[in-house]
Amino acid sequence: MKILAIAWKELYTTFRNRNLILLMFATPLVVSTIIGLAFGGDGDSDTPDFANIPVAVVNLDEGFNLQDEINLPAGITNPDALPFDPNDIVFTIGDTEINLGEQLNLNFDGVSLNFGDQLASILLSQPIAINNTVASAGIDSTEITCSLLDTAAENSAGNFSSESALDELLDATAVADPDVARAGVEEGEYAVAVIIPQEFSRQLTPRFYFEDDGRLRSDLYSEAGAVEVYANSGRAISGAIVRSIVEGIVNQFGRVRVALSATLETSVNSLIDSLEGGEIDVSGLVADVPAVIANLQPLTADALEPLGCLITPGASNITVDQQPLDALQEASRFARITVAIGSSQAVFFALFTGIFGMYSIYEERQQWTLQRLIVSPTPRVYLLAGKLLGNLVVVFVQLLILLSALTLIASIVIGEPTFVWGSNLALIFLVILALALCVSGLGVFVVGLAKTQEQVVLFGPMINITLAVLGGAFSFSLPERVSQFSFIYWGVDAFTRLASSQLDGATSQQAGIVALFNTDVALNLLVLLGQGIALFLVGAWLFKRRMEL
Amino acid sequence: MQAMVQTQNLRKTYKHADGTSIEAVKGVDLEIHQGEIFSLLGPNGAGKTTTISMISGLLTPTTGDAVIGGYSITKQPLEAKRLMGFVPQEIALYPELSARQNLLFFGKMYAMGGKALNQRVDELLEFIDLADRQNNRIDTFSGGMKRRVNIAVGLLHRPQLIYMDEPTVGIDPQSRRRILDTVKQLRDEYGMTVLYTTHLMEEAQELSDRVGIMDHGAIIAMGTQGELTQQVGEEDRLEFTIGAQTVTDELIERIQNKATAVTRVLYNPPEQLSEEGSESTPARLIAFAKRGRTALPLIIQILDAAGIEIQSVAVREPDLEAVFLALTGRALRD
Repeated sequence: MKILAIAWKELYTTFRNRNLILLMFATPLVVSTIIGLAFGGDGDSDTPDFANIPVAVVNLDEGFNLQDEINLPAGITNPDALPFDPNDIVFTIGDTEINLGEQLNLNFDGVSLNFGDQLASILLSQPIAINNTVASAGIDSTEITCSLLDTAAENSAGNFSSESALDELLDATAVADPDVARAGVEEGEYAVAVIIPQEFSRQLTPRFYFEDDGRLRSDLYSEAGAVEVYANSGRAISGAIVRSIVEGIVNQFGRVRVALSATLETSVNSLIDSLEGGEIDVSGLVADVPAVIANLQPLTADALEPLGCLITPGASNITVDQQPLDALQEASRFARITVAIGSSQAVFFALFTGIFGMYSIYEERQQWTLQRLIVSPTPRVYLLAGKLLGNLVVVFVQLLILLSALTLIASIVIGEPTFVWGSNLALIFLVILALALCVSGLGVFVVGLAKTQEQVVLFGPMINITLAVLGGAFSFSLPERVSQFSFIYWGVDAFTRLASSQLDGATSQQAGIVALFNTDVALNLLVLLGQGIALFLVGAWLFKRRMEL
Repeated sequence: MQAMVQTQNLRKTYKHADGTSIEAVKGVDLEIHQGEIFSLLGPNGAGKTTTISMISGLLTPTTGDAVIGGYSITKQPLEAKRLMGFVPQEIALYPELSARQNLLFFGKMYAMGGKALNQRVDELLEFIDLADRQNNRIDTFSGGMKRRVNIAVGLLHRPQLIYMDEPTVGIDPQSRRRILDTVKQLRDEYGMTVLYTTHLMEEAQELSDRVGIMDHGAIIAMGTQGELTQQVGEEDRLEFTIGAQTVTDELIERIQNKATAVTRVLYNPPEQLSEEGSESTPARLIAFAKRGRTALPLIIQILDAAGIEIQSVAVREPDLEAVFLALTGRALRD
């Protein structure tokens, strides 16, 4: 009760101080609005303003050979398990003997897939050429169809080209070395580097194998193509846009592999059943090759349709112009500026509240209220806890009010209700709380560390401004590794990610709580809470000395 | 009489960064009885506030201890603090809060709450005659009104012992009178023990049952007023304010020889009277005599003959000022 009484008193005295209110609320709101209007226009912007985002695309994907995975050495892995051996089935066509086992093997041999090439081509806005080969089976790959494929997206030449939206949005360059690409991002040459790993295709493709009963089975790799999107901290929105695009494409690859796994398994097993049951009699076939092929063609077409999906470019139904970028990218320019500038300004000004809130311990000592509290039967740790709690709540309320006010301003400027921070309220609150912990923890730390009032007044703003510069609050960016020293960076990055979130309002609460550590801001929260708690504990330990008279 | 406060060898030493140290309080032994007003009297810097701060738990003694109502302030601080109220010299109130809000807040620090606290706050607002201003912010109050609220906070939990550290500093005579009456009322009507510090001899004389005189961090005399004045005898004190002329030792000797009633003479040149040594501060000559009025014409005659300009003369009966002067060679107000 005593702690709460002290915390209430802190809140009350803070919000009765008009000068402090001006510093806490009016200044950051005015600054953010001016910057938003200056750089964001009046918000009447339907098309994305971000164009030609410089992106480095590094494709390390080594591809994937289906033959290596479907284990059919000279026919079928375990012929003994079948009621017949496909290698025993021999056709004599003219002067040529055709072995069914070899024929099946040939059908699969040399089918090389490279999803990395597809992803890179899309990002680079290049045509996707067929680099897969179906060797010598007499089956023309162009005849293979895929029911999963949106025919509208497939052109007759067997090539697939992404729509022009990405061409305008991205200024992508192919880079061979990932380190060069990352360095380019650090130096500001690129906003983002997209690095496709060596195992990308392998991880995306189901693993097929025959079991002892002769049935085809498939497994999905647990890890689905981990593409690295390396973004510059100062271009968080660009990073979020590119990440959203890459996620969308990779997710579609992933969806196709699930469908392929099930369909191919079923189809091959049906073929084997047909052969086993004698429904397809191949033993007496004696005809010329075209007749055999003609005879097999309907079967092959059915059986290989799923395979067709696998090897047909564009089968992933990748239509980039239909791929929503993200909520933030689709928002108006003013909204985007508000998220980046507004959140950083809010945290920057909250830093002053954090430090000067704790600085009040000196004022209390001067006006002897601190002494009066110490003479009361109240343990000093209660006095400390009450003061810290009060400061934490003040900062939390300040950030909450600022973000709400910025939402209102953005809505007025844009001309319609616009919740610029995204719709995941639970996570937004959590990020604000984590930031409030950092801010008030820093306040405790600075006041605890300083030996005199004058040192607080001198060094407090210096520390705040340094953190703001590092964290990108002044609209220019530093290398990301440097920026990461500032919790403003982690806070702004979290808000940007939340604003980019595509969660709808109805499910956001549940998603925020249940999937807390499976979200885009999990790392941000972890870093912010870690920094906040560390600053708080060290600061509290140092601050105890300020209670000595 | 039962002791409310007992201190043993209470000592406070401050160490400077350069390694030197200063002893602010030099082993104070006190015993304050229940229901009495005990004044610590001494000039500014004598160590009164440091002593009271150690007794109230605000400062940790370098050595020694204080026992309040049977509880050690160093070993059982919370129990000891529950028995005491504190009225500091400064206005220890939140200026942004109203009088009532201040009282409610500090009441909660004494584990009070609910109806009991509200009722007590009402009583105290009536007691200090500020019920009609209870919802006004403290920073809109006059100095005297702030002092009254400052005292009320110290009385919130009906303490058995109340410390008052120079509570009349910087206020008008009317408010001062009111506070002095309140202090007496606390003892007479509520049976409280009051530990009162002041540098004003008149306040100590008016209020105190017993007085401890402090100088340079030590208690140099303690007792009732009668006991203390007896220490300096029944002598009158003749105080002469003189001009810039220097009083020689020869002249002082002449006064002591010719005016036979005079027992001793003290001479304070201007530089001893003021820390700043201001030239405008007059020198003072003080003569102690069994029959002051008889000795007075003779001394005037001698000074006049020596060409000393006499600016004013005062004859004083034995009092605490005289005691302090006798013990330290300096006036209390110095």
